[in-house]
Amino acid sequence: MKAYNDEWIYNRELVRQAERWHKRGLLTDAQIRTVQQNYPQGFRQTNGILEVGLFLFTTLAILGTFLLTTTLVSGLLDERTSFGTVSVVFSLGLGGLGQQLINRRLLYRNGVDNAVAVLTAGFLVLGLLMFLPENLRLSTYCLAALPILLVALWYYGDTILAFLSLATFYTFVFNGMLAFSWGNDALPFVMMAVSGGLYGLSRGRWLVGGPGGTLTKAQTYYADPINLMESLSLVVLIASGNYFVVRELNGLLLEPTPDRPRFAEAPEIGLPALFWLLTFLIPGACFGYGLRTRNRILLSMGALGLVAAVATLHEYAAIVSFNTALTLGGLALIGIAVACIRYLQSRPADQTRGRFSDTPDDDSPAGILGHADTITAIQASANAQQGPKEGVRFGGGNFGGSGGEGSY
Amino acid sequence: MSPTDSLNEFVKQGILSAQQAATIDRFEREKPLSLHWELRSLLYGGILLLSSGLGLLVYDNFDQIGHGALLLAMAAGCGACFFFAWRHRPDWMFEPARSRSSFGDYALLLGCLLFLTLEGYAQYAYTIFGTRYGLVTLLPAVLFLPLAYRFDHRGVLSMALTALISWVGVTIRPLELYVKTNFFDQKTVYSAIVLALVLIGAALLLERRRIKPHFTYTYLTIAGNLLLVALLGGLFNFESVRPLFGLVLIGTCVAFDQFARRKRAVDSGLVLFILMSAIYGYIGITYLVFHYLDFTAASSYYWYFILTGIGFVAYLLSQLPNRKTTNESV
Repeated sequence: MKAYNDEWIYNRELVRQAERWHKRGLLTDAQIRTVQQNYPQGFRQTNGILEVGLFLFTTLAILGTFLLTTTLVSGLLDERTSFGTVSVVFSLGLGGLGQQLINRRLLYRNGVDNAVAVLTAGFLVLGLLMFLPENLRLSTYCLAALPILLVALWYYGDTILAFLSLATFYTFVFNGMLAFSWGNDALPFVMMAVSGGLYGLSRGRWLVGGPGGTLTKAQTYYADPINLMESLSLVVLIASGNYFVVRELNGLLLEPTPDRPRFAEAPEIGLPALFWLLTFLIPGACFGYGLRTRNRILLSMGALGLVAAVATLHEYAAIVSFNTALTLGGLALIGIAVACIRYLQSRPADQTRGRFSDTPDDDSPAGILGHADTITAIQASANAQQGPKEGVRFGGGNFGGSGGEGSY
Repeated sequence: MSPTDSLNEFVKQGILSAQQAATIDRFEREKPLSLHWELRSLLYGGILLLSSGLGLLVYDNFDQIGHGALLLAMAAGCGACFFFAWRHRPDWMFEPARSRSSFGDYALLLGCLLFLTLEGYAQYAYTIFGTRYGLVTLLPAVLFLPLAYRFDHRGVLSMALTALISWVGVTIRPLELYVKTNFFDQKTVYSAIVLALVLIGAALLLERRRIKPHFTYTYLTIAGNLLLVALLGGLFNFESVRPLFGLVLIGTCVAFDQFARRKRAVDSGLVLFILMSAIYGYIGITYLVFHYLDFTAASSYYWYFILTGIGFVAYLLSQLPNRKTTNESV
């Protein structure tokens, strides 16, 4: 029993796939009609823009209701227990009501049901944590929250819940390692190993695949969470091997001593040569393997990781000033992009190395990047006009960029 | 999930013959991977870095040797970009037109950005515009607007529009979700409102004449946000005319909402205006309610958020496209 009709989600994916082939003339009109008739789906259509508003207003209404409920029952029990009880009961009520709404209104990823999924899980976690004693380690709380989040993820298959589960899991590993005296030194390696494992899990069939290579309902139900897991685990894998991340985090984790205040420059780490190697080796390997297997996510993450690696090199071995580095980096990126585009345009795709093309296809993320020109232009013109400015410095925020650092 | 999985399912159900499945399978395995958007993102990223870097670099080493050379190089680069874009310019027409080179649009964008940097620097170092600061921001707008139309470039159009907006005193940085302005100043608010109305009027007129109608969305997004932010600014800051601003804000939101609902069949992107009206309108109404009504009990606030939240959810849900099962679409 899951939140959504998994048959419909499964059918939707099959029809989508078949319509792509039909557009290319690989299926006949009669065949696509058969597919559409044999695999019906009844969800209400959605719209990515309205979804945002629906999510916001649903969250507002639910939070209002929760606060109202807490004022009604305040003072009955001691504070933690009463708050915990109210949260758990509220969560169960919300989940039940949300399920009614999902069934009656045929909702699927409409913003309303996303908000219900996230808040139901959130209140349940919050409520149950209230019954744990105070002053436990953060990793203990994470360990307690993780099963609830995973059950909610199993039930809803929601992308935000997948993100929260991953973040909780990484926080558990991160904070749990620090409980050991050797944990700090082993941390980057453990994070790399864990991320590698998660990546392998997201690519394999073990988690959701079925026998005989046919499409399973689980594969379509959890397609988005698994895609997120694939990208996020790569980001953390690359970041955990990055010299800048390791050194700065290590510096933050050290207890401040009288001769070393908290925000002093982070000291040199152990095995610097190894980490310098990993800084370039991991994203390089991702990129290279992505080229060979023609994997878009590996390619993009590898490329971002390589940019971060060059930025790291600049941070510690700055040969030129920050502004010059920005200029040269920009020139290099433009040069690489222009060279690749010219190469791909100069010959048919089957004569390029690795069969790549520059013609947009249906897998291209046009929705996100469709307005990139407008956003870039406005942002860059604001930058170009800003005039002299002090204190611009390379920061950790340049890494990855997918919010994967949330766990740090 | 791989396409092979779906193929196997179709074969199992007898919809595809094994031979046809093999053809599709070969097509899936041999089709090239498109790097179109990835490479364009790389190009945009490079342009963003380069123009930011140069924008900062010109102010370094202000009076040292090499500085003149840098300026000269930038001017030459700017000229080269414009020359390249011009050589590959699209044919002039009212409909969408594309540059004859893949890089024409990017060269134009970079040229415009370099021009902005050079212009800003000329004012900083030589004060060529004296104290007429308005001219510094108006000049790019006046230059970029015709360029946007001639080269059919929405990015340059939005640069022209943001230059116009900063001319009336508002700075926008979308990547930092940041709008800087002085909405405590009545003159700024009223200028922003007038400019936004002029832009919206111009956009609708141009669309009716079918002159580059695909620019309308850019005009409306930028001018619409400016108008709504300015109205909110007036609502928050000007005590004496607050009810008036409230009324105008709600009227504008209703107008945008109606416009989007009527035209969304033509341009699905206009759904954005339904969301914008709802959010700006909600902020305005909530401010007015809390300002004028006296809620003594905390629970009345909660009731307000619950009821309005449900109301807006119901409204937005009703605006989702009608349920369409696959069977009906055939």
